[in-house]
Amino acid sequence: MTSLAVHFPALVVVNLLICSFVMPVLDRWKKNLVIPVALGSMALSFVFSIHLAVRVSVEGAFGYAMGGWVAPWGIEFVVDHFSVFMLLTLTGVGLLILVYATQDLVHELKEDVLGWYYTLYLLLMASMVGLALTNDLFNLFVFVEICAIASCAIISIKENRECIEASLKYLILSAVGSGGMLLGIAMIYMVTGHLNFTHVTEALPQAFELYPRNIMVAMALFAAGIGVKAALFPLHVWLPDAHSSAPSPSSAILSGLVIKVYAAVFIKLFLKMFPWEAYEAIPLMTIVLIMSSVGIVMGSMFAIVQEDIKKMLAYSSVAQIGYVFLGIALLSQNGTLGGILHIFNHALMKSMLFMAAGAIIYCTGVRRISDLKGIGTKMPMVMSVFSIGAFSMVGIPMTNGFISKWYLAIGALDVDKPLYVAVILLSSLLNGVYYLPIVVNAFFGEHKGNFQMSRKLPLQMAIPLIILASAIIITGIFPRLMLDLADKAVLFLLN
Amino acid sequence: MIEILSKLLHNFYYLIAIILFVIGFHTMLSHSNLIKKIMGMNIMETAIFLFFVSIGYVEGGRAPIIQPGQEHIYVNPIPSALILTGIVVAVSVTAFALSLIVKIYQHYGTVDAEEIMLIRSRET
Repeated sequence: MTSLAVHFPALVVVNLLICSFVMPVLDRWKKNLVIPVALGSMALSFVFSIHLAVRVSVEGAFGYAMGGWVAPWGIEFVVDHFSVFMLLTLTGVGLLILVYATQDLVHELKEDVLGWYYTLYLLLMASMVGLALTNDLFNLFVFVEICAIASCAIISIKENRECIEASLKYLILSAVGSGGMLLGIAMIYMVTGHLNFTHVTEALPQAFELYPRNIMVAMALFAAGIGVKAALFPLHVWLPDAHSSAPSPSSAILSGLVIKVYAAVFIKLFLKMFPWEAYEAIPLMTIVLIMSSVGIVMGSMFAIVQEDIKKMLAYSSVAQIGYVFLGIALLSQNGTLGGILHIFNHALMKSMLFMAAGAIIYCTGVRRISDLKGIGTKMPMVMSVFSIGAFSMVGIPMTNGFISKWYLAIGALDVDKPLYVAVILLSSLLNGVYYLPIVVNAFFGEHKGNFQMSRKLPLQMAIPLIILASAIIITGIFPRLMLDLADKAVLFLLN
Repeated sequence: MIEILSKLLHNFYYLIAIILFVIGFHTMLSHSNLIKKIMGMNIMETAIFLFFVSIGYVEGGRAPIIQPGQEHIYVNPIPSALILTGIVVAVSVTAFALSLIVKIYQHYGTVDAEEIMLIRSRET
């Protein structure tokens, strides 16, 4: 057991990859094994992540050399406080979404592609976990591409017109993004001769004196590439269509986890790798600050006018990813803490809201917000869960959304930028404008017979919702749980 | 001016890679035909590969196959090895994009992005 435990950093990815490739075989051979194996491998990865988290908290950060080839020759994985924070978020929320997916997909997909969905889902999870762990630039690029293809594929698997079109748009734009990132990697390799993050970090300050232009171009390319993939405001055009037309579990994972993982990549590259002198040469962080605060306001504005509930949630994601980038770009300890914490909090909230919307669509087939009046009496559990998510989005105390906004606001004050506190406040009000009417109408609106309950909510769909809702409340009342981990991650990043 | 020109001439493979990149990027953004967009995407990716591989080139170097007793200058093999992976990734993205375009053609009867927009706006 102890000898196997050494390989957990690799196994957490490899286990998902292997199971993903086994899925199509199982689908033909033993159909009833598909779901247990998929759930089993996700649960196993979650257990591995917990083990890694415990080990990091005892021993501190440690590296893992793939195949025994140490850093300059082989690919290295580094398990530090930040990557275990991401690992726990990814595998935990991913497991819950998968439990939900086992029931929801049956009515959304054709029967012959059901097995393939789990292949894509596990592949996507594997690439995201890999992105959180990797310490190698080219490995990063490969995982980014796997992530891009898998996330497009779990949209287009539904095969209706909107999904195919949204998926193609997403694919083309994210190909531009990965192209930019690869060119950035080329620029860095050109001046440093390394691909390993640790070695690049050591070589960059000296390289910056000799070839400042290369590094500035690389930073711009990385920022643009990650910006497209994480849907930072003016580059978000693909997100609303893609996230709203996809099957509900796909929307949940795409909005909850995939865009966050790129924010994590941004943190890894820009807070750990690039030298601080470079930020004096180009005001990159100021640009990101402006982009994210415009995104926070505009995303909410767009969300207000939406008719379709999933489209509204998708635009709300544009606003929420803005918070994460705002926190990172403030470059103060509390701000970064708020940004990192919001990765976790928003993963809980948004995946839960998308799953609640999916549950409403599953039971009644209603997507229009105006038709949702009085649904609270028919589906009290789902709507209470939705309300908790909505309160958390607005940032009402006792929910975890309040905690991350609080730290963002403190972070903005720490660096004397009170304007961004105003942005956070304004956006909280705007969030209230589009979330709270749904809640109020659902419970107190008059039911006009716009919908029928055609199906009862199965247990597999109800349990993830309840777990996520209680997690929102628990981390809202006892924020210490995740805050300690995020705090250590920030200290590790900014020291 | 002459200094810049001579520098460019000396590193002409970087220049050509960047020109190709811009051609590809422009094709991708300006054409409404989806197939042409994918072609532009491929030109762009090829340009990046060319750029990456030319980083590893050493003047007068040869393939790094070491034979005992012979001393040579070798090119840096790492960029070539990496780009092999990059090409595989680019091929799979292209294949996936083309298969999506086939589906779009089945649904709309056209591969032109503007016509698809027209069809969609007429329906709503």
